[in-house]
Amino acid sequence: MNNRKKTALIIGGGVAGMEAAIKIGNAGYQVLIVEKEPQLGGALNKLYSSFPRWENPQDLVDDKVKKIEKCSAIKTMLNTVVTSAERKEKTFIVNLDSASVSEQVEVDAVVLATGFEMFDASVYGEYGYGAFENVYNSLEFEDQLKAMAGKDKSELPQVVAFFKCVGSRDRSKGFPYCSKICCMYTAKQAGVMKDLNPDAKCFVFYMDYRATGKEYEEFVRSVIEEKHVRYVRGRPAKVLPENGKLMIRAEDTLMGVPVEVAADMIVLASAIVPNAKTGELAEMFAAKTDQYGFIEYDSKNPVQAGERVFFAGACGFAVESLGAQHQGAAAAADVVALFNQD
Amino acid sequence: MHNTADFYHVLRIDQTSNSLREEIKEHCHTDIEMCLECGKCSGGCSNAHIFDITPRKIIQLIKIGEEAKLLKMDALWSCVACQLCVDRCPSSINIPKIMDYMREKAYKQCVPATRPNVELFHELMLGSIKQYGRVAEALMTVQFNIKSKQYTKDAEMGIKMFFKGKLNPLPSRIKNVQQVRRMFRNIPAQREG
Repeated sequence: MNNRKKTALIIGGGVAGMEAAIKIGNAGYQVLIVEKEPQLGGALNKLYSSFPRWENPQDLVDDKVKKIEKCSAIKTMLNTVVTSAERKEKTFIVNLDSASVSEQVEVDAVVLATGFEMFDASVYGEYGYGAFENVYNSLEFEDQLKAMAGKDKSELPQVVAFFKCVGSRDRSKGFPYCSKICCMYTAKQAGVMKDLNPDAKCFVFYMDYRATGKEYEEFVRSVIEEKHVRYVRGRPAKVLPENGKLMIRAEDTLMGVPVEVAADMIVLASAIVPNAKTGELAEMFAAKTDQYGFIEYDSKNPVQAGERVFFAGACGFAVESLGAQHQGAAAAADVVALFNQD
Repeated sequence: MHNTADFYHVLRIDQTSNSLREEIKEHCHTDIEMCLECGKCSGGCSNAHIFDITPRKIIQLIKIGEEAKLLKMDALWSCVACQLCVDRCPSSINIPKIMDYMREKAYKQCVPATRPNVELFHELMLGSIKQYGRVAEALMTVQFNIKSKQYTKDAEMGIKMFFKGKLNPLPSRIKNVQQVRRMFRNIPAQREG
């Protein structure tokens, strides 16, 4: 045995990866975070607000980054990707690549935390994503919200429609699953829109709203009751540009009548799919993936994907930042227990 | 607006039958239990504005086994099978195929079509195919307009089309019409009673 300190490699510096890093680092083991972007924070960096407490996600990112900087056991490599890995008994020899250097490291456990992407909604010709102006997916809309903040009401959209289940729960597009977090972030986005422009009309087209978390039901109800966002039960059928607006046609399935909305902006809650690199990385570390490419969990251990390989966050399945932190902490606990036993 | 008395009555859903749903699964290879009740079919239906019962409701009626209502509905004859509903359906439920099946069923059970001359049109069209192996458009139009007493309906357009060479007044026969006729012979008698 060499005297090298036990090291955990965290792939992905989003909220799940950061949480895992902090817990492992503070338990006394070495941590190496590899992040392909120029900063830590992952998807949270893109968000304007969070549910269910209307907090600024940047505060959470800043808090985690501060903790990481304070912990001398954690090394962060930004703008860096994992190019290959080789298992050697109880360690992995991993090759890393960044713009400036290529590096080889030896690590004793791996936490995959590669996060998610949004499925490409342009597959739906009827919604005009990528073809019409002012049709955004939900992540892009967070950017829009950032840009809108501080502007005068008159410059903001007056009618905004949110489509839920775009891709999700659509077997014809290959995603029979529910993406789990869209109900909540859509409620949040519609609520923020109303805060920014109380005169705006916000419509959420839904099939169901699924608010199964602490304070979640109350959150959605408050968006409807206090912020006056209108929920319309039905999946929009088509969008057509008409006199500079986007004309939406749907059925109000509770009334059984067709409804139309002339919107200034449309937000598509696109299905959550695993980050494109997830499959490649899973293969490198012999982690199982499911039919959609998410990391598959072990029934006996929900954060384990293989021998000395763990995972956390949305690379396993769509998850909100709270759940991502839970999973990051759980993966860290497994890594620490493993290192203690070695 | 609808007359609320038409539909606002208590349905004993414990006493409904699954047989129509099963029948459709077997004949149309489409499982309506996959329906998410999202209404995307009805919202985008190209003819919903003239439908008495919209596609989502048709699926619901199948679920509760309301066959009589389905066979009598006007939508059966105003659906143009444009396929928009099945194209957009998240569960790929083949509504046009179900409509086809229900139309056939209505015909077999002698439930009259709600639109005029529907049966006459279908009979003439199939008759033309049986005789020539294809639809003889000009001849069939004339036959249809005479039998439906709309003597001058397409005369003006027909003449224009003729002079532009778009309409052949003489029916042409395909090479091997016997093959088509054999297909017709293989179909058993369609109508009950």
